[in-house]
Amino acid sequence: MDLLWLVPTLPLLGFFALFVAGLFVSEARPLKWFSGIVGAGSVGLAALVALVVGMDFYAQDAEPQWYLLWTWMDVDGFTPSIRLYLDGLSLVMMGVITGVGFLIHLYATGYMWDEGGYSRFFAYMNLFVFAMLMLVLGDNLLVLFLGWEGVGLCSYLLIGFFHAQPENGYAARKAFVVTRVGDTAMLLGLFLLFREVGSIEVQASMAGARELWPEGSTMATLIALLLLGGAVGKSAQLPLQTWLPDAMAGPTPVSALIHAATMVTAGVYLIARTHELFLLSPTAQLAVASVGLATLFIASFTALTQRDIKRVLAYSTMSQIGYMFLALGVGAWSAAIFHLMTHAFFKALLFLASGSVILALHHEQDMFKMGGLWRKLPIPFASMLIGSIALAALPFTSGFYSKDAIVLASFDFEPAGWLFWGGAAFAAFLTALYTTRMMVITFFGKTRIEPHDHSRINMWGTLALLCLLAIGGGWFGLAPVAAVLPDGGLGEADHTSAVALATMAAPFLGIALGWLLFHNRRINVDGLVASPFGDAMRRFWFSGWGFDWVYDRVFVKPFIIVARLNKADVVDFAYRIIAAVTRGLHYVIALTQSGRLRWYAANMAIGLLVAFLIVLDAL
Amino acid sequence: MNILGLILFLLIAGGVAWAAERVNPNAPRWVGLIAFIAAGAYVANAWAGGYAYANQYIEWIPRFGIHVILSMDGLSLMLTALTLFLGAVAVVSSWTETKRRTGFFQFNVLWVMAGVVGVFTALDLFLFFFFWEVMLIPMYFLIAIWGHENKAFAAMKFFLFTQISGLLMLFAILALVYFNYANTGSITFNYNDLLGAELAPDVAFYLMLGFFVAFVVKLPGVPFHTWLPDAHTQAPTAGSVILAGILLKTGAYGLIRFVIPLFPDASAQFANWAMFLGALSILYGGYMAYSQSDFKRLVAYSSVAHMGFVLLGAFAFVDAGGAAGMNPLGMQGAVVTMIAHGFSTAALFMMAGALQERLHTREMSNMGGLWMRAPRMGVMTMFFVVASVGMPGLGNFIGEFLVLLGAFQANVPLTVAAALGVVVAAVYGLVLLQRAFQGEPNPDVPAMRDFGLREMTVMTLMMAALIWIGVYPQPLLDLSAPVIETLWIAP
Repeated sequence: MDLLWLVPTLPLLGFFALFVAGLFVSEARPLKWFSGIVGAGSVGLAALVALVVGMDFYAQDAEPQWYLLWTWMDVDGFTPSIRLYLDGLSLVMMGVITGVGFLIHLYATGYMWDEGGYSRFFAYMNLFVFAMLMLVLGDNLLVLFLGWEGVGLCSYLLIGFFHAQPENGYAARKAFVVTRVGDTAMLLGLFLLFREVGSIEVQASMAGARELWPEGSTMATLIALLLLGGAVGKSAQLPLQTWLPDAMAGPTPVSALIHAATMVTAGVYLIARTHELFLLSPTAQLAVASVGLATLFIASFTALTQRDIKRVLAYSTMSQIGYMFLALGVGAWSAAIFHLMTHAFFKALLFLASGSVILALHHEQDMFKMGGLWRKLPIPFASMLIGSIALAALPFTSGFYSKDAIVLASFDFEPAGWLFWGGAAFAAFLTALYTTRMMVITFFGKTRIEPHDHSRINMWGTLALLCLLAIGGGWFGLAPVAAVLPDGGLGEADHTSAVALATMAAPFLGIALGWLLFHNRRINVDGLVASPFGDAMRRFWFSGWGFDWVYDRVFVKPFIIVARLNKADVVDFAYRIIAAVTRGLHYVIALTQSGRLRWYAANMAIGLLVAFLIVLDAL
Repeated sequence: MNILGLILFLLIAGGVAWAAERVNPNAPRWVGLIAFIAAGAYVANAWAGGYAYANQYIEWIPRFGIHVILSMDGLSLMLTALTLFLGAVAVVSSWTETKRRTGFFQFNVLWVMAGVVGVFTALDLFLFFFFWEVMLIPMYFLIAIWGHENKAFAAMKFFLFTQISGLLMLFAILALVYFNYANTGSITFNYNDLLGAELAPDVAFYLMLGFFVAFVVKLPGVPFHTWLPDAHTQAPTAGSVILAGILLKTGAYGLIRFVIPLFPDASAQFANWAMFLGALSILYGGYMAYSQSDFKRLVAYSSVAHMGFVLLGAFAFVDAGGAAGMNPLGMQGAVVTMIAHGFSTAALFMMAGALQERLHTREMSNMGGLWMRAPRMGVMTMFFVVASVGMPGLGNFIGEFLVLLGAFQANVPLTVAAALGVVVAAVYGLVLLQRAFQGEPNPDVPAMRDFGLREMTVMTLMMAALIWIGVYPQPLLDLSAPVIETLWIAP
């Protein structure tokens, strides 16, 4: 049954229906019902079809399959096709996108009910799901790029969804432009790959690369690094990570879907998809691992100091994707995709649960104005608690299995495995620490604002399902990718070695310290922060290690200042000088036309004389 | 297909439109619209029937080897079709805007387009130059009579730039004919006869430069672009639609049809400079677009950036066995960019005109939050901004991607620079959307009418065209592929 094409088509049709309806029908209750049903329904159907496709895939021995739709263009041997490719990796991605995507759509039908632009919201969301599916299903890097840019556009549209506030528009533009810097690198990578290998089809070009280049080849390194440039932009890794915290300006379901579960992991998918290229280049592998580790560190410390609950989660997302990059870099390919999946479960849960809290507090996002909510908002509290223990990777939660696999794999990395392991384990400690801080400040202590729970059944029902996934989503491993990725799937984890025990202990230490610091107050955290050094440190971390500050001064400000100075176009100046000179000459010659007869007579006489002399000279 | 008949039809329709004003001031519009639809239907019918390809040859001034040679191949065909379509768009976009001298207005619109069709089909250099001038004068009138506050200045600037560069081209044409005469002993302006003309390398280089400058002024490429923002800003909406949608393409067409085939060696020798100007136009044009606060000026500068892609792609010669060879990727990209930019920018200028008609301002600081007032206009602006930002799946992306892919084979540093233009495009495109349509609704803005059926029909057609080019550009590529193959005569 060739139903695969239907999976991306359904959300696309949903988008068209909502787009047209939004253009010609004004905002009304029936339109809302229509939008909700079409918006969530199309993704739900896509998820069902994806399930059927998946079962069919295993019925046919899990052989990779192609579905040609049409040849996009044919220019002089460059013939990218709109062709879908299904293997274990794209199957997992498709499942996460449609499955988690459907749950988030369902939640959003309740969450967005009282907001304006209901149909526009679901139109963008459906378009996003379509683009994301094209990204993971395209067998050609150009089709992947189509999805890649498409999700970027939808991310822009949804971050700036409440477009009456200029700061939302700014955040949206920042996200689009910063990721586009990475996209440009990726585009150049495609050009180079095409020039060298003659194809940008994933399977063909990877096979070509393997044949063409030995391990350690400069060309492979160059292309891999250019693709990495695209990946760090989309996945908010160093040095293009600055857009993600601001992207929290979007509605919370958007943060859950795009900026946690799916789009931001596109970079991880890209690297996994082109792993052959990265295997050829130890340099690029090391770069991937280092980027991951550095981001993991910086983001974890930053999360420790945030006040806004969504920003804590944003930095946490950034750091968890750092884990995935680390995994890719150290060669734990399957663990990276595994963590991608479990992270999609628990982070979507955390975002949606925090959305319920925010909604109950009338759009208050500052944790320090919350507190004491655990009795009053039991469902969001329970959901967030489950999400948090999965994020902190306590044993038997989904996050534990995937994160443990990554941390342990980094110990075996050459060179300096102990460094990568130590960093990853320390970051696990930090993760538990900031998660505890978030939970304690939000849900314990004094109640500062009286909440009004607006949860509808479609909202808490979604939370319940995601709770199940956040706990049990990691119990069964990740078999489908074993045939695709070079490490042959997740290995059997040995939980008895000293390294493994230390890894497992790290989150507990974090929770214990967090409890002492923020709940018991056994350690005076306020005094620590109040000291000059502590305060400087806190502000440095709070600002995300000053990246925005630097970029603002190095790129943004000069760009704006020169633009202002040159508004009148310096090139036109040259033409204006020509015009002015011409006008000046005109003025001088016009002076000779004075109307005085004597002046004319004298001129004529002189002219005649000169002419006469010239003629005489010529003779 | 009778090309001469098509041109004469447009010219006569212009006369009829002028005369029709005596009957009713609204009548000329209908004449203009019907003339473009009829001519468009004629071309479309011939295209669909497969008999669009034509060649007409009529003696004109045999003594000097001047003929009326009109020829329609794939490239001419798609550009002619675009011309007639945007002619209709221009008429519709100025439907309610022009209230004075409506007859003469339509006369000028029809005559510009007749001249453009001539430019796209003439294969006699004298005739080409003739049409080049035919399209210039009515355009001057359109700006000078129906323009905005500073129209006299802008019209004169436009006229001088085009006229001086035209003079340069005339000299180059005459010199080319003369040198060919010195070699062969026969005077001819026939393009096909001049194609293989044997010229000393330095002569060929300077003649090439003469044509090149004339066409790059029209394109316009940096540093010859400064007439464009003024002309656009001051022109009436129909004028801007025609200017950006069509007239700029005559410059691009000239580069592809004349400069490269007539002077292949000299072009290849000059290629890196031409590509440099292309990359410079992309970056500088984009940056200047960002600097503007006037809606129309911003879009005008963005045209400089987009047409830079044409320059970059057309001159991306590749190494073919030791000699310079044509680069089909870059060339096809240039052609697709021409067509796609025609739609996307015409739509944005139409939007600018619609805003000015409603708000009596082009200044974006006087707008803001217009989405709330006119959601359909907002959605349409967003679509065409997204298209011109180069979103895959829409026409402009195909053109720009192919250009960059082709240029990468020829010159890596310039391609890298040009690719950064994609980032700049995102910056100015989104800023345009933000300042005009998003943000807090401006309390000073009066209640405004949203797009109605008339505007939505035109916008939807252009939207469909861009989606079609973006999703399945093959018909377009198939049309231009054989032409591109014949452009390059191996030296």
